[in-house]
Amino acid sequence: MNPLAASKPLPRINPDNQPFWDYCRRHELRFQKCLACGHTRFPASILCPRCYSREARWILSEGQGTVYTYAVYHKAFHPAYADELPYVTAVVALSEGPHLLTNIVGCLPKEVYCDMPVTLVWEDIDGSFSLPKFKPVRQDAR
Amino acid sequence: MNFKDRYAIVGIGYTPQGRFVDRTAMSFHVEASANAIMDAGLDRKDIDGLMCYRQFSPKPGEEEVTPYDVAERLGLTPTMLSQEANCARSHLHHALGALEAGLCKYVVLSYADTSLLGTNSAFQYYDDKAVFGQLATVGEYALAAQRAMHTQGTGPETWRKIAVSQRKWAHLNPAAIMHQRPMTDKDYDDAPYIVEPFRLPDCCLMNDGGRACVITSVERARDLKHPVVAITGLGQHNSSRDIQTSTIMDGPSGAKISGETAFRMAGIAKEDVDACQIYDCFTYTVELTLQDYGFFGPGEGKDWFDHGRIAPGGSLPVNTSGGLLSEGYFMGLTPLSEAVMQLMGRCGKRQLGPETGTRTPEIILCSDNGGVFQTHATAILRRL
Repeated sequence: MNPLAASKPLPRINPDNQPFWDYCRRHELRFQKCLACGHTRFPASILCPRCYSREARWILSEGQGTVYTYAVYHKAFHPAYADELPYVTAVVALSEGPHLLTNIVGCLPKEVYCDMPVTLVWEDIDGSFSLPKFKPVRQDAR
Repeated sequence: MNFKDRYAIVGIGYTPQGRFVDRTAMSFHVEASANAIMDAGLDRKDIDGLMCYRQFSPKPGEEEVTPYDVAERLGLTPTMLSQEANCARSHLHHALGALEAGLCKYVVLSYADTSLLGTNSAFQYYDDKAVFGQLATVGEYALAAQRAMHTQGTGPETWRKIAVSQRKWAHLNPAAIMHQRPMTDKDYDDAPYIVEPFRLPDCCLMNDGGRACVITSVERARDLKHPVVAITGLGQHNSSRDIQTSTIMDGPSGAKISGETAFRMAGIAKEDVDACQIYDCFTYTVELTLQDYGFFGPGEGKDWFDHGRIAPGGSLPVNTSGGLLSEGYFMGLTPLSEAVMQLMGRCGKRQLGPETGTRTPEIILCSDNGGVFQTHATAILRRL
């Protein structure tokens, strides 16, 4: 493995977000769906912010969404990202409702646009973590 | 509760601002606060409240700044101490609440940092989004600005006017970090991207230094040495939505309700405002704040900022010290302190009025903003 890649920040696991990252390791993108009111929430939380019910189940995302917004990093704020410039961060609106901050991969930064249809791809960063990232549904998306 | 014209800002404390390898954040807090107390003509024994803005992580070798450590070094034993943990911009509400409750008579509000030397500054941090390379505040505001480009057609044409206009103000302010560093439209266009769509001049400065002010009742202010600058309107609204989940990043942000609340308290309309001091962490923040305050409609900033409207000589001066973009970064105290100094008539070459071909100000609108449009506060100041 690239030693620089190994030094990138890793998810910081806590009791709230552990299920999310455990599912990710199995390549399952899951969000909590409130059993009382049906609201799907992210990030993970102990109760539903709409009805305060604690009852929820982790629903499986289909991994389909659109780019709500994006940004292109031209400066590395961490040395491990220096070789990746320019890279694209984005907020993806999933079809299940939640928005997820992630990366758009598999295309040039200039090819990304708001409302672009994207689909889930997994990036395994080491034996312990997998990151949900997104690529254009079509390579010639625009 | 209506605080209209009952409390005043009576002293401002400045420090050197720029890059100072031999200074600590603590030393800037102490210097700024002491200068504010002396500027008001007060004695340290008068001060019974001390509030500090959030403190970024200290650079190696520096101790964490706490309000009680600042108080100790100022020789204070205050009734009230507080410090925000993050970017909740409720200081003026807290200060006026403490004054109104009779808890305090004179409250000092202070900010300081040694951000240029810090290892974990405002622009570089790690949270749960860092695994995707979301490592800096500029990246989050860039996401917001990109969304507004999509939904409202804003963009660099608008932001360039903000950055260039504020730089012109900085030329009139010898203390501004960007004083005598002119910027043309072409300079802006040629500047490198940091996180696209933001170029370097879209981003506020990072600097060492401190800033403080003293707040008391208007009655006490009348016995002090400066013209009385009252808080005539106050508002606050906090969307409390992270950029990841936000759907207000292209407005209306908390500025809308916060501004409406402040204007209602002041009993004035936006036409009554002589100048604005807008929290300008990024150029887009200025645009969205003024848009949400109702000065123009969504996306209309492109035309509204034309003809030097906010620049020296313009009809609505904005960020007359140079602001966070071109004077120096002191969180909400950059705009607030400049509003006070302008209303007191102490601004030298950049003084609003005949000196700069602008209206002599009686009312100045100020904003403060925290997180990524997660918190917002509005203060309207008036010279009594």
